[in-house]
Amino acid sequence: MIHDAQMDYYGNRLATCSSDRTVKIFNIRDGAQTLVAHLHGHDGPVWQVAWAHAMYGSVLASCAYDRKVIIWQEGKHEWEKIHEYKGHDSSVNSVSWGPSEFGLLLVCGSSDGGISVLQRAADGRWEAQKINNAHTIGCNAVSWGPAVSIGSLFGQSPQYIKQFVSGGCDNLVKVWREEDGQWKEEVKLESHSDWVRDVAWAPFIGLPICTIASCSQDGRVFIWRSTGSSWTPKLLHKFNDVVWHVSWSITGNILAVSGGDNRVTLWKESVDGQWACVSDVNKGDDSGLRSSI
Amino acid sequence: MGAPSGMQRCKGRRSSKPDGTSRDMAARVVQTFSGWRTMSCELDGAASAVAVSRDGSQVVVAGRNILKVFAIEEEAFVEKVNLRVGRRTSVNYSCSDVAWHQLDDNLLATAATNGAVVTWNLSRSSRNKQELLFAEHKRTVNKVCFHQAELHTLLSGSQDGSMKCFDLRRKDSVCTFNGQSESVRDVQFSPRDYFAFAASFENGNVQLWDLRRSDRCERMFTAHNGPVFSCDWHPEDRGWLATGGRDKMVKVWDMASARPRELFCVQTIASVARVKWRPERRYHLATCSMMVDHTINVWDVRRPFIPFAAFEEHRDVTTGIAWRLPHDPHLLLSGAKDCTLFQHIFKDAKRPADRANPEALCFGPRGDVAFAAKEGLSANDPARRALPGDRRNPFFFIRKAPEPYDASLTQQHSGSVCSVLNVFQRCDAKEKLNPLENESESFVELAQRYCLAGRPFAELCDHNARIAMELCRHQVAQTWLILKLLYAGGDASPSPALLPNGGIFCGKDGSSGLGGDGMSERGKSEGHGDGGLEEPNEETEGSDVENLTASVGLYAAAAGLYSGNGEEERLELLDQDTTTSDFPEFSLPPEAFALRHEIVDGPAGLEHLQTNGPDGPGSGDEDGTDEGMRSACQGKVGGSTAGLGITAAESVSLISVSQPLFGQTLPPEVFAPAVIAMLEFYAERGDVQSTVSTLIVLGEKASGGVDTLVQEHWYLSYLELLQRFRLWDVATQVIRLSTCAAISALNHDSTSLNLNCSSCRRALGAKGWLCDRCRRCASVCAVCHHAVKGLFVWCQGCSHGGHLKHMHDWLSASPHCPTGCGHLCEYT
Repeated sequence: MIHDAQMDYYGNRLATCSSDRTVKIFNIRDGAQTLVAHLHGHDGPVWQVAWAHAMYGSVLASCAYDRKVIIWQEGKHEWEKIHEYKGHDSSVNSVSWGPSEFGLLLVCGSSDGGISVLQRAADGRWEAQKINNAHTIGCNAVSWGPAVSIGSLFGQSPQYIKQFVSGGCDNLVKVWREEDGQWKEEVKLESHSDWVRDVAWAPFIGLPICTIASCSQDGRVFIWRSTGSSWTPKLLHKFNDVVWHVSWSITGNILAVSGGDNRVTLWKESVDGQWACVSDVNKGDDSGLRSSI
Repeated sequence: MGAPSGMQRCKGRRSSKPDGTSRDMAARVVQTFSGWRTMSCELDGAASAVAVSRDGSQVVVAGRNILKVFAIEEEAFVEKVNLRVGRRTSVNYSCSDVAWHQLDDNLLATAATNGAVVTWNLSRSSRNKQELLFAEHKRTVNKVCFHQAELHTLLSGSQDGSMKCFDLRRKDSVCTFNGQSESVRDVQFSPRDYFAFAASFENGNVQLWDLRRSDRCERMFTAHNGPVFSCDWHPEDRGWLATGGRDKMVKVWDMASARPRELFCVQTIASVARVKWRPERRYHLATCSMMVDHTINVWDVRRPFIPFAAFEEHRDVTTGIAWRLPHDPHLLLSGAKDCTLFQHIFKDAKRPADRANPEALCFGPRGDVAFAAKEGLSANDPARRALPGDRRNPFFFIRKAPEPYDASLTQQHSGSVCSVLNVFQRCDAKEKLNPLENESESFVELAQRYCLAGRPFAELCDHNARIAMELCRHQVAQTWLILKLLYAGGDASPSPALLPNGGIFCGKDGSSGLGGDGMSERGKSEGHGDGGLEEPNEETEGSDVENLTASVGLYAAAAGLYSGNGEEERLELLDQDTTTSDFPEFSLPPEAFALRHEIVDGPAGLEHLQTNGPDGPGSGDEDGTDEGMRSACQGKVGGSTAGLGITAAESVSLISVSQPLFGQTLPPEVFAPAVIAMLEFYAERGDVQSTVSTLIVLGEKASGGVDTLVQEHWYLSYLELLQRFRLWDVATQVIRLSTCAAISALNHDSTSLNLNCSSCRRALGAKGWLCDRCRRCASVCAVCHHAVKGLFVWCQGCSHGGHLKHMHDWLSASPHCPTGCGHLCEYT
């Protein structure tokens, strides 16, 4: 069973991870899917994979039920493990690479409730910083935010900040920010009534607004917007089933949502701020294009 | 994901201890457990095994320093007997295993680390309850096991490689089974076959023995790679044996067939120390691990990777597990090295399988969507492995060629949950016209074809507008044209390209054929002609008239888009202007300038525009800021379709852009705010490409008004996107043309090449082309043997090279290196 699929920076390769403890990498350019690598190293189901920014070469992180986070790098001939992190006491559910400005920076969320931030130091060692008890019962998803803060965009000094969002079994979405080398919970977003399954921070392309999408076991997808001070939720849609994933397009204007009913829907915000479904990938509707934008 | 096996909650509380009929059908009704809860008690030492009495009311915990019997009360464990009595504690009591006889509630057996097998009788009145001691094994006894039906038969398995059968009525063993493998880790009597027992060995073997013949085993097979620490017979399925090994696997074997056949294989995250089938659940078994993992996992063997349930209470390695009652699947007892004894209730267990994400979704940079979803528990039904029929070709996306790729199935684990992975690609063949369809492709197209510098401003704008128009990015195209009109000043006449564009624009969206029957429209509007004509304006602004009318025409064309209902007078006036701009010689009727006059009024003009909307809010800001545009367009969108909404927004922004144009003079400061608003508008919509491209083309004209950091951010965002699409050349051009100092500096970042000397192959130092070692200039042309000045091309394989032309000529004749080093050089 495939738990996660991620395309690399250029959209040429697709990494999938599965219950069968492996990570597979497919080449998906040129219309065909060809298996190019098969990574063994985990002892349990692999929950999530993440590609690092192409600036660092082909670097992939995977996290699994065996409590390990493995960072892989494509060498001359094959993929090799460059780091293995075992700092969690329970299944690691999510990994996300930070903005390229910070070097190789990875955040991992685990069922033990903790979140770890791994950073590759100049000498190639990996330094881990752990936030204990970030989410009671467990953390299900993490996603990095942009490196540039909104305040700084229209303010005076360019300010690079490390921030990410996490979602957990306590039904909360939390935004974390690094201050003086310490991670602090910046804000706690409450709206979901069940486990938060996925969170995604929208890519930051010239927008003066920070946007986060979160989805939950309760079938609801929220879009959180912040212009600097507070976050306001907007209900995108209430689905009838668990919503497992949310994923932004690279320009951050289309959101793909996949739900328990095996359907993918694409959502786009119209000018008046309403989100409309623009496509339904799994619908066997042959009536042609029904694009409303 | 294995269905939660419906935890029945029985109404009544557990009335009394089940009596002797517990094994009868009557007692097979699921035991009440609502009164039970997860509980624990501290032990004096680390446990190494636990065993439960037949009626489930008592549990014995054995370890190196502990041997105690606890009564299981509703709220807690109560210590009943401590079997380690006496002044000195014998090594005989240092237990590695314990067994409780299933026929006699008073009979216990323990295996000691020194090789002793001890039996205990709880009914003895003295403090010392020890009954018999068999000191026959030479090394640690790993396992003791009572026969289910024979009161007096006890089996032991030892590290010394032998198994012994004891008759408790005698003082020594009845017979010895020599496995002739290695150490015995587990022995288990078969619950169905009276004489059969299974033994597992440290070398990975499992043997099946008949009690009646001790000379050799009935069958033997290699079950695991490495020690098999545990085995357990299925309580109901005759012949199913589960084995767990150090290779982190649990395997289920069908021993009834001619050859032991592997039915299931479960992969755990750590070596498996104990395996116990779960009562009343055919496919479930519980395991605990020897290291790393402290949890007790309950697996559905059909689901080989993710535990069905997990008990995470223990803080150290769990060593002993036992289901409390033979027919109750909800109560599990466990002892661990953390010196605790736990009773686990199934409803408190974690369900990792339910947590597991059954779907994967990824939005690729090119607009592809990868989506994998589970196909359900597909058991052994081959038909299910095909794609389900309802997954027809979705519109909007087409699935890429080799359709399903099933990652799990390649493992061929029967009954594993499978996923089907699809990569949906944007349809781009048919729906080329829809701008949303191929957003990423048009991004690439635009990036490649935009002309950002090297020509006069007006030409650039025209060129870019044409390209945007070809790709159906109407609003962007109109923006380019407006920009041209704004900044190119009076010297530029409307490009001929503009007019057909406007016509296409109107006609395509079917806004009542504005461009088509322009004359009749005009006639109508002439009839509406207001009295407020001001002729002098026309004369004084002679040179601006062309621009003016052209922009009004644009505006009208755009306005016609969102208001399909052109019955309002105002709009007709605008429409009329569209038609006027269709005349190349600009023979404008005087009436046309009534409109211009209105717009010249500024605030009044804008208000008037907003009232055009069917239910316009009329809340527009007069200064044409972004907010004003948006609120204005919201009003329009109310009446028109959402699809046209964006165009409406754009047209409004065009209005506000063009509005200042109607002033008497054209100082750039007047419309700079509008242009900046336009830039921000695009940026906010995620179209950073338009923002940056216009910014570059405008150059100094606009950059002053925008905060440098914002610009920098726009540039960086755009560059990031360009690099994602591998448009390196465009990215470089953007860097070069940018007006931002920080961005231009990106190109000054050093690119280092490490060079080798072509003769000695040592790395060249920082001194340039002179090799330290052979004291020669390394950049000598291999063909003409002169030092190369200018372009030097060399092979990365053999480091030899020379003048580009020489090398090219040479290699077009021969594939070999001109130096004769034998290398087959590759120049691409």
